[in-house]
Amino acid sequence: MAEFKIRRFDGKKSFWQTFEVPAKKGMTVLEGLYYIKENLDSSLAFRASCRMGICGSCAMKINGKPRLACETQILFLGDKITVEPLDNFRVIKDLITDFEGFFAKHKAVKPYLIREDVKYEEPKELLQTPEELNEYYVFTLCIKCGACYSVCPAAATLDGYLGPAAMAAAYRFCADSRDKGNEERYEIASSSNGVWRCHLAMECSEVCPKNVEPAKAVQMLRRKTAFSILKSILRW
Amino acid sequence: MGVSGWFKLGGRSIFSWAFTFQRLTGIVLLIYLCMHLTYLTTLLDKTGATYESMIALTVSKQFLIFDVLLVLCGVFHGINGFRIILHEFGIAYEYRKPLLAVALVLALAVWLYASYVMYYLTGG
Repeated sequence: MAEFKIRRFDGKKSFWQTFEVPAKKGMTVLEGLYYIKENLDSSLAFRASCRMGICGSCAMKINGKPRLACETQILFLGDKITVEPLDNFRVIKDLITDFEGFFAKHKAVKPYLIREDVKYEEPKELLQTPEELNEYYVFTLCIKCGACYSVCPAAATLDGYLGPAAMAAAYRFCADSRDKGNEERYEIASSSNGVWRCHLAMECSEVCPKNVEPAKAVQMLRRKTAFSILKSILRW
Repeated sequence: MGVSGWFKLGGRSIFSWAFTFQRLTGIVLLIYLCMHLTYLTTLLDKTGATYESMIALTVSKQFLIFDVLLVLCGVFHGINGFRIILHEFGIAYEYRKPLLAVALVLALAVWLYASYVMYYLTGG
């Protein structure tokens, strides 16, 4: 048996509740939460979808660290498991947090290819070498789970800060040889809520379940942004 | 999470702790700098006697512990700051763990040596 200690929120107050879950080898924390919901307390609220570490819905703080519940096995953690909602997000109910602002920030950095010559009526093949792909490939693996944002000390003290995930997405497209929208993104990244707010605590890279290295992306974007500003000052 | 998150004990990597200490030492150094400049600008006598008396008081065994802690703040903040600047230029990001370990060992070695020198200067 594993003891699940869950921090719950009913819309007014936050409280801890403990459940006993029969844990088997290979059973994940997400399966444990489903067991509680189906057998012990149907009011327990959590977000989950794919159950295989692709959708990023089930990110939550497990034993003090943000992890994907579907990829975290109970027996690897021992017989006492603490589950909490992610930090730096507004809690809606129990383990469900409000991601609206997080996705708005992601949208704000224009995370798509910007080109003038692309017409959906006449699709055009955009060629790229493997070396060009490697420039940004690792940053395409982000599943927008919010784990990086939840541990970011800059996001903790500044609501408007774009955060590691959004800036990793911005860098992913800035480093893409097919993209022509760098200047637009540099302008967004160099705003008062952009790259200069990062204090390089690097915790985002440490907790990323996909090893995306958002802290590296922020520094690379910072360098590109700095060169862009320098170029504009020197009219180069 | 707010500023209280800087001091959270569980679930944080050593990088977060380096960030927390960088902030704390920065605040200590800022307070010290303000006190230092405030004191110096209030010295009115031109003979330097007040300054000399202050130095005689602070460079003493009773004050050694404060000096040692101040040097620890300065050394850690400087060396860790240099490590952060390197990463901010995109240098050695892949080696961030060994680099942090080197920075910590270096800070400890410099601090111990500086503490020994200060201890020696105050009369052993």
